[in-house]
Amino acid sequence: MVVYSFYIFDRHTECIYSKLWARQDRPISSGGTAARPLSGSSASSGPAVPDVGPARARPTRLSAQDDAKLVFGTVFSLRRMVQQLGGVDDTFVSYRTGQYKLHYYETPSGIKFVMLTDTQTANMRSVLHQIYVNLYVEFVVKNPLSPVEHPGGEGVANELFELALDQFVRGFP
Amino acid sequence: MHFKSLLLLAIQHVTDRVVFALMIINKAGGLIYQHDFAEGLNQLSSNDYLVFAGTFHGVHAITTRLYPLSHQTVATRSSLSNFDRPDPPSGIEVLETESFRLQCFSTLTGTKFLLFTEPQQANIEGILRRVYELYSDYVMKNPFYQSEMPIRCEGFDRRLVAYLRPLNSR
Repeated sequence: MVVYSFYIFDRHTECIYSKLWARQDRPISSGGTAARPLSGSSASSGPAVPDVGPARARPTRLSAQDDAKLVFGTVFSLRRMVQQLGGVDDTFVSYRTGQYKLHYYETPSGIKFVMLTDTQTANMRSVLHQIYVNLYVEFVVKNPLSPVEHPGGEGVANELFELALDQFVRGFP
Repeated sequence: MHFKSLLLLAIQHVTDRVVFALMIINKAGGLIYQHDFAEGLNQLSSNDYLVFAGTFHGVHAITTRLYPLSHQTVATRSSLSNFDRPDPPSGIEVLETESFRLQCFSTLTGTKFLLFTEPQQANIEGILRRVYELYSDYVMKNPFYQSEMPIRCEGFDRRLVAYLRPLNSR
């Protein structure tokens, strides 16, 4: 099982956290940050503009920020379509293309968790729920220094959350 | 003996299979066919169905672009093992929700077949392939059918219902 990337969107449709685990097989032009996984928004370094450089560099590649917008747009449209056809209680769980699989989980408070994995992966809904309960609630919501809302990802990408998430995802078989 | 039990298993799979609906979307994103075969999904107005098809067409195009690994890397890796050209990135193939499952079959010409079924099902590709056969036989070979236009072919309707209804009632 390979996890490619992970996104959190708040109820204002903003991407408050994104992380990319995708392997980097290509020669890296701008060295330095190559070996370690690149995280999107880090709270410590000022404005949280995710700059996920070399892994994303494809001729027609969008910036990571645009990617997050595309992911949100996709998820939002699919969710509405599913609700239209399956009733308001129905939620969309995942979709699969020839190359990757996207898993989706939404909390009652409207926070959306999205994970991109390889196509062989089974249902990850419970995993996303665990990330919400064990990591997000513990390290972001219960953090007294964290704001209630997270404009620009502020307060989400703290050290504990990043570390725990990374360990959690790397612990998958 | 083993084969027999496999066959039985396959038959059992067929028995709890419910096909809710079929939609066909042309390469421009327009809905050209929509038919319900069983209760289970909400009925939309014909305008909403058109919007649904258009939205799906757009989302399908976006999903081809979301793959986080660069396609180039994948291409070079596969060209080492064989000289085939890698498949172009595909959009949504299966969409799962709590109450239904949507299988999308996109032909090489860009026509999309959407099949709405029960969530717990295997081998819907087989059904879709058969539907595509019916489409080629009774729609594309119909001399009065204008391509990319809404499908109003009685023969296609009849064969489709004849093929899918027994699957549902079993």
